Amino acid sequence: MVHLELNKICKGFDHPVIDRLSLKVDKGEFFVIVGPSGIGKTTLLRCIAGLEKLDEGEIFIEGDNVTNVPPYNRNVAMTFESYALYPHMTVFENIANPLKALKKEDSLIRSRVYEIAELLHIDGLLERKPHEISGGQKQRTALGRTLAAHPRVFLLDEPISHLDAKIRAELRTQFHTLEALREVSTVYVTHDYAEALSLGDRIGVMGNGGLVQIGTAHEIYEKPNSLFVAQHLGQPSINSLEIDLIEEAEKPSAIAGSLKLPVDLNHWEHLKRKNITKCTLGIRPQFVKVVNGDQSSEDNSLELNGMVEVYEALGAYGVMITSVVGQKLTVLTDPEDKYDHDENIIIRIDPSTFNYFDLNNGVNLIP
Amino acid sequence: MKEISKTDYPDWFLKKRTGKNLIVSPAIPWLMVGFPVLILIAIVIYPTIWMGYHAFQNTSMMSLFNNNFEYVGWSNFYNVMTSDRMHESIYRLIQYLLFGACLEVILGTILALILYEMIKNELLRIVLLILMVMPMMLPPSIVGVLWKFLLQAYNGAINHLLINLGFLDAMERIEWLGAEFALYSITIADVWQWTALPLLIVYSGRVSLPPAIYEAARVDGAPTWMVLKRITLPMLKEIIAIAFIIRFMDAYKFVDKIYVMTSGGPGQSTELPVFIAFQKGIREVEVGEAAAYAWIIFVFAALLITLFLKYLKNVLKAQAFA
Amino acid sequence: MTESNIKLIKIILLAFLLVWIVFTLFPLYFQLITSLKPVAEINAMVPTFWPETFRPGNYLGIFADPGSLKSLMDSLIVSISNTILSLLLGTLAGYALARYLKGIVGENLAFWILSNRMFPPVAVIIPMFFLFDATPWGTDSYVSLILLYLVFNLPLATWLMMVFFRDAPRELEEASYLDGYTPLKTFFKITLPLVFPGMISVAMLCWIFAWNEYLFANLLTGTTVKTFPVHIPSFTQGSQTLWNLVMAFSMVAMIPPVGMFIILRRYMVRGLSLGVVKG
Repeated sequence: MVHLELNKICKGFDHPVIDRLSLKVDKGEFFVIVGPSGIGKTTLLRCIAGLEKLDEGEIFIEGDNVTNVPPYNRNVAMTFESYALYPHMTVFENIANPLKALKKEDSLIRSRVYEIAELLHIDGLLERKPHEISGGQKQRTALGRTLAAHPRVFLLDEPISHLDAKIRAELRTQFHTLEALREVSTVYVTHDYAEALSLGDRIGVMGNGGLVQIGTAHEIYEKPNSLFVAQHLGQPSINSLEIDLIEEAEKPSAIAGSLKLPVDLNHWEHLKRKNITKCTLGIRPQFVKVVNGDQSSEDNSLELNGMVEVYEALGAYGVMITSVVGQKLTVLTDPEDKYDHDENIIIRIDPSTFNYFDLNNGVNLIP
Repeated sequence: MKEISKTDYPDWFLKKRTGKNLIVSPAIPWLMVGFPVLILIAIVIYPTIWMGYHAFQNTSMMSLFNNNFEYVGWSNFYNVMTSDRMHESIYRLIQYLLFGACLEVILGTILALILYEMIKNELLRIVLLILMVMPMMLPPSIVGVLWKFLLQAYNGAINHLLINLGFLDAMERIEWLGAEFALYSITIADVWQWTALPLLIVYSGRVSLPPAIYEAARVDGAPTWMVLKRITLPMLKEIIAIAFIIRFMDAYKFVDKIYVMTSGGPGQSTELPVFIAFQKGIREVEVGEAAAYAWIIFVFAALLITLFLKYLKNVLKAQAFA
Repeated sequence: MTESNIKLIKIILLAFLLVWIVFTLFPLYFQLITSLKPVAEINAMVPTFWPETFRPGNYLGIFADPGSLKSLMDSLIVSISNTILSLLLGTLAGYALARYLKGIVGENLAFWILSNRMFPPVAVIIPMFFLFDATPWGTDSYVSLILLYLVFNLPLATWLMMVFFRDAPRELEEASYLDGYTPLKTFFKITLPLVFPGMISVAMLCWIFAWNEYLFANLLTGTTVKTFPVHIPSFTQGSQTLWNLVMAFSMVAMIPPVGMFIILRRYMVRGLSLGVVKG
């Protein structure tokens, strides 16, 4: 059942920010919006909240058209990146504020605030003021405030980006387990893809004024519909090479400078049909592997000689930039191996993992 | 991310979009501002127009009550601009601003910095600040009266103090309020009272400067005078300038002390332009001329201040990039 | 810069500070002792720097004239009323300018409001004299002073409140909207508490000006309404000024502003530095 619907909404300031964006979020769904900084994610949330007036388009919540409803009547809750806790009120009063606005009785307010505080493990802090608590506690207080009055839509603006890793992990778990979220639709904004991956039922990649791709984390990763999406999701960033496509004796190849790579025949079908001669080739570092001596090569894979330029050991994995016949490729390596500068290595890539993007508009050429 | 070029702007963006806000109806801000503005208009614009009108008439006491004044064009302005009385008062005004307002700002700044940098004891600092700021709390008229009392030629405490300290012979007296010194005496009273304002402003500004820079300077081992010259003063430049503007804006238009101490005398030796306007307007009820005076004074001051503010804005912009 | 040179400079600077403090305190000291002297001693040829006879009775003497107490009351009435009015209107206008009227219009409006402070009182008083004269309550009334002092205090209040409101984070108000409060309720529950310290500094600055003002009061009022600066010249006996009473009365009149500054100095420092630094 569609809970939140955005219908071709448009919003601009001195330049257009959101351009005919449409989205449908179901009840109980946790929708994550990812995108680079400054792209308009916060603006989008503010539009849904009612803090910004739409230039065009409509917003529906539970079927009601709320486009012209002011924020205090929309029953939407939002956390701010800066928490926005009222400094002159205690934690208790901060969380109780939405309930007070609804003129609930004191006893009800008290029980609800205690309930939420317990849930978020801040029940010991209720008498403190915001300047007396830590960042993580502030975050949870802000979260508690948004939960307090049973909003219909839950908007979270980079709520945990400023916290240290341990607390982030804790809060992420809480997002998973909060019962309350099943009753509402949640729109969660982040620039951290890993976070999006772990939290979202569906993910929307924001770019160019709209949602460039919507899908599950897996879908977006495996099948980015444009170079933009591919480049922004995935750590480290995808390798992209400008290539010419040629066919020699029924064998299609991609040429980048002096590097020649075979093209998977399935891909070539689509490319040939569209008469593509030049495009951008995308290879994810995850699919470029360093060969360790006696590993047998698989059918479709190609082995190339490369020279190590830069190597970073990052704990769970290593990132290496290797130069292969003049082209630089980023490779993910096992953490145990160590590589020296200028070391010669052999890498293996599998053409079936390649992505091809249009040279001009970056659209993925393989549907 | 490619920026969408202007030619690619979608239609809805190019269409005229209302600036309407969801949160409050657009009428409300105007109502909120409107009421005070209306009152200001009543109290300020009305007099402005009135004075503007009468500046071109030959209004005086009788004609005002009988409502028979006639248009005399620019002659009021002409009379004012060419009167020696006005010229001399302008000369005195410059003296007063230099030795009064300027001196107050300079002294205030120096004292504020001395107080902040050299008195480390919090309590002592606060006590001294309060003591130094007290003159500002007094009514300017009372300050005038007080100094008039102190500067009496024969019974005045100042003269006798000078005698006791040996600066004057037993029979000598300085005619503080005589033709020679009267202006300086008024200036002294003014400096006594108003140095406190720039002092307070600069002190407050100094208090609000970020401590991080000073800690960095200390770590770098910079000597005190260098810190002062290279860090404190540049950061306070803007505040000092504003203190100057505030003091200047008040100095040229408040004539309480002249009124109370000398009434412009002896003769006309302590007349400042605004005071003359007062005399003309209230005592002699030469309203037309007084209006011309007021307008000339106001326009000049407004011009100067606006120029100074513009200069200030540019200096600040430059500083922002520095 | 040698060590001894630095020490010398420090001593000179401290001496300078000391000299200034003495210079500041001397007139006040003399005011105090004059207020405690009998008339005869004051009019003697050689003024004394320490009272030969103490007459604290002077302080009671000033109130022998019922006008003295009345003048203090009048000053209180005028100054407090004007402060409340300035604060009220200034807060409304300041909020509108800080939050809503942001464009060119708003900026110019704000500048015009502030520029009214530059208006010479003389230009205001002559026309206003005739204007108030024509009204039923006349020039010699509380209303005339309370309204006229707005010329100075309202721009100040508006400008400072605008700066303070600009400083208050908008997000807090937005969070309040999302909590369900209308802008009106938000203004009272959230915004005002945030700017409250600022309001105190504004109130202080406005009040001190209204309390100390002399010129308008002197020219417009004098009988029905007599603020204390206007009352001072009345301490005469024949053609002689009774300086002891004048000084005593002045000291009494000094107590409220000085007292307020001592108690609320933090707000005043804050008000000035914010208004100046950010304005």
